[in-house]
Amino acid sequence: MDLLTYTLRKLIGGIPLILGVTLISFVLMVHFGPDKTYELLSKNPTAEEIAQVRSQLGYDQPFWVRYGNYLGQLASFDFGYSDSTGERVASILSRTVPISLALLAPGFVLGNLLGIVLGLVAAWHRGRWIDKAIMGFAVVGMSISFLVVIIAFQIVFGVWLGWFPVRGWNVHDFSSYLHYVTVPTLASVFVALGYNTRFFRAVLVEEMGRDHVRTARAYGAGPVTILYRNVLRNALIPIITRIMFSIPLVVISGSLLIESYFGIPGVGKATFDAITSGDQPILKSVVGLTAVLFVLILIVNDILYRAVDPRVSLK
Amino acid sequence: MIARQTRLPRAPRPTIPIAAACAALLLVLAACGDSTAPDDNLRIYRHSTDGAPSSLDPAQAATVYSNMVVVNVFDTLYRYKYLARPYEIAPNLAIGMPEVSADGLEYTFRIHPDARYSDDPAFPDGIGRAVTVGDLVYSLKRHFDPSTRSQGAWLWAGRIVGLDAWAEAGADYAEAVEGLEVIDDQTLRIRLTEPYPQLVYTLATGFSALVPQEAVAYYGREFGVRPVGSGPFRLSSFNNTLARLERNPYFQRPPLDLAEEGYDPALHDEYGLAALDGAEYPMLDRLEIHFIQENAARWSSFASGAVDNVMVPNEQVEQLLSERNPIRFRPEIAQRYHGTSGVEAGFVYAGFNMADPRYGHHPEPARNAANRALRCAVRDAFDWNARNDTFYYGIGQIFPGVIPPVVPEFDPDRVRDSVEGRVEQGRQRLAEAGWNADNLPELRYGLVSGVQQRQMYDQFRGQLIELGFPPDRIGAETFATFGDFARAMKNRKLDLFFLGWTLDYPDAQNTLQLFYGPYETPGSNNFNYRNPDFDALYEQAATLRSGPERSALYQRMNQMVIDDCVAITGLSRTRIYLWDKAVTMYPDNEILGGFFMRFVMSAP
Repeated sequence: MDLLTYTLRKLIGGIPLILGVTLISFVLMVHFGPDKTYELLSKNPTAEEIAQVRSQLGYDQPFWVRYGNYLGQLASFDFGYSDSTGERVASILSRTVPISLALLAPGFVLGNLLGIVLGLVAAWHRGRWIDKAIMGFAVVGMSISFLVVIIAFQIVFGVWLGWFPVRGWNVHDFSSYLHYVTVPTLASVFVALGYNTRFFRAVLVEEMGRDHVRTARAYGAGPVTILYRNVLRNALIPIITRIMFSIPLVVISGSLLIESYFGIPGVGKATFDAITSGDQPILKSVVGLTAVLFVLILIVNDILYRAVDPRVSLK
Repeated sequence: MIARQTRLPRAPRPTIPIAAACAALLLVLAACGDSTAPDDNLRIYRHSTDGAPSSLDPAQAATVYSNMVVVNVFDTLYRYKYLARPYEIAPNLAIGMPEVSADGLEYTFRIHPDARYSDDPAFPDGIGRAVTVGDLVYSLKRHFDPSTRSQGAWLWAGRIVGLDAWAEAGADYAEAVEGLEVIDDQTLRIRLTEPYPQLVYTLATGFSALVPQEAVAYYGREFGVRPVGSGPFRLSSFNNTLARLERNPYFQRPPLDLAEEGYDPALHDEYGLAALDGAEYPMLDRLEIHFIQENAARWSSFASGAVDNVMVPNEQVEQLLSERNPIRFRPEIAQRYHGTSGVEAGFVYAGFNMADPRYGHHPEPARNAANRALRCAVRDAFDWNARNDTFYYGIGQIFPGVIPPVVPEFDPDRVRDSVEGRVEQGRQRLAEAGWNADNLPELRYGLVSGVQQRQMYDQFRGQLIELGFPPDRIGAETFATFGDFARAMKNRKLDLFFLGWTLDYPDAQNTLQLFYGPYETPGSNNFNYRNPDFDALYEQAATLRSGPERSALYQRMNQMVIDDCVAITGLSRTRIYLWDKAVTMYPDNEILGGFFMRFVMSAP
């Protein structure tokens, strides 16, 4: 019952956040975003035709009316049709979000798991050559542009070795899934690992210096026991926070570069196309749903805090 | 602190069933796209392009990329011959060329009686019905229906008797249009308000494709992503990375006659095209069009075999060519791939906003003349060779005026003063007209945000400084999208703009109309050029059929644009194509658009 009350309270408390995010983003879209009118017009438009298209796009309505419509759409999860293709926004999202999830989930999970493992190893060997080697690798991963990594991996695995496709998403069974997802996953893990390892190491090193770890060592506990029981478990809160807050970006934003360069029709590319073309119905849906997802993640995050640390109270 | 080691609830250990469930979930998610199991027995051609269409509704087929798909899904009355250059029109859905009345006002078309739309839920029982000329009438009317948001209505605006009035009266599809007379299901007579020799060309554009009313009603706004037509292929899936098309079993045309299509053994023999003579088409079971905007990704897709062709990105040219003029491929490339090159059906150019009295038209004759000298000086300073070498690998074709090499009216012997880049001559012009560093007006250069656009601006800025422009008088106005750039241009906010023009049909009228006074912005005359002499010649030429008289008028108009220094023009880019030797074809990204794909043969 406490949990339900807490969830409802947080949901209501999230409304101002959603309103704030949607309002700011809508101001940016309306006043600084691209004007789609002239992309939809013919070569010889008349002033009347220009006005007609502006009206069809809703540009002629007052700002607050448009924002009100946006909130109505967000409440009903019906964002209408794309201004570019005419496809229903709901169809676009239902088609692209699952692909982005399937594309990015392995890299997300592996990037975090390996980051934690490497962070633990580096923290345990702090200051020694293993630590330096891992941190050196992390810096390399962080320093090389994601784009360069993608192109290099495409050339190595697709063009030179010919093991994996460099383009497309024709998944119909598990082996075809592995076939298409491997190189994008390797590329995203390569880059994410650098950032993740550095972050997790910092958190774990801090935990390693605590009295209870020193005492456990004094009692003769082995490294695995200490790292798992005394270090990792007690460092879970910042780790969970980092992982949980990355989820909305994976679910909604996708990965523009991976999807563009590998020709994968995910939500990242759809969003980027919407940004560059000023397709407001798609942008509104992505921004609105990301805000809603963040509110939900905040709630789940707090519940997970409670699960890993009983001293945390959901009040 | 030890007390903090509270016994935590033990998390369930991950088990194999959980991992399997996760894998299954991922697979389900992954398969949410449009996927098909590979079939080695299918003849598939994977085509790559450097852009993506947004809508596949013929009424919005305003880009090369939309057209590429549209002309394969839908039927047009006419198309272009596969191999003939300069481009020649050929019947497609129409039987033969139209009968044209002596006064050029009536065109009678007949279409193939056995043409059928592909099967689709939009039709009763999901079975495609026969195509009739009523569909063409509906499709043309649809362009004039404000709710369609057509981008192609300009092709027929004011041309067909009663069509504009039909739109003004409320666009009621039940109402007939006097100029669109259905004689029977296969015969249509179009009555024009005045002779329009380009009419047949317009009926080879994707805009003119025949759409079934049932499908438009059934899919509503989503018709743009679920098109239904009677073309050689039917669309099976479409997203922002790929259009997948399957052969339309109902599509029937006479077998391919290579001689009729402009086959020249000297040019085409090496590609194995002779094997296609007499073949039924389309020859593919499946056509995939991959939209790959990123040059590096397009090239690696081709090099790895993910796609069968590539229009070579500039940064790869060095590695592929052993010679630029004439273009020759390195032996290892020629051994591995088929390749060809051709000049684009269009050109890139810069234009002044002539509505701005600081540069353009001015009521005072003396200032008007000084403004002309200023524009000419800027043109003199512009170095097309530098532009070509820096951005087009030195293989673009520079030409004076606005009649590009791809059209039959192109004059290769025209005086090239206007493209020679003589900065000294420009300085002299400025001095003679009384311009100096103190009185030169500010020049705002509009560009769409992008690295290459910025580099082009910087190069041009350097040339203007060399001409004598104070650096603080030259500024760039950057726009996030082409739509924003177009808005500024159409609202006359830019002093100078750089653009590319892709021809809608191979007739110089298509570029000369860009300078026709009544089409000033927001129309296609972005220069806002107003010259009554030019307009009179344009109107005179507009009703003339192709021939020496019309060509002479075109040349006079071309010279007026050059003399008035309205534009800095031009350069037609050279396209280099490579394709897999397992595919028998002759690609063309230009006016031919996607028409050639029906003639592509690929080994299973």
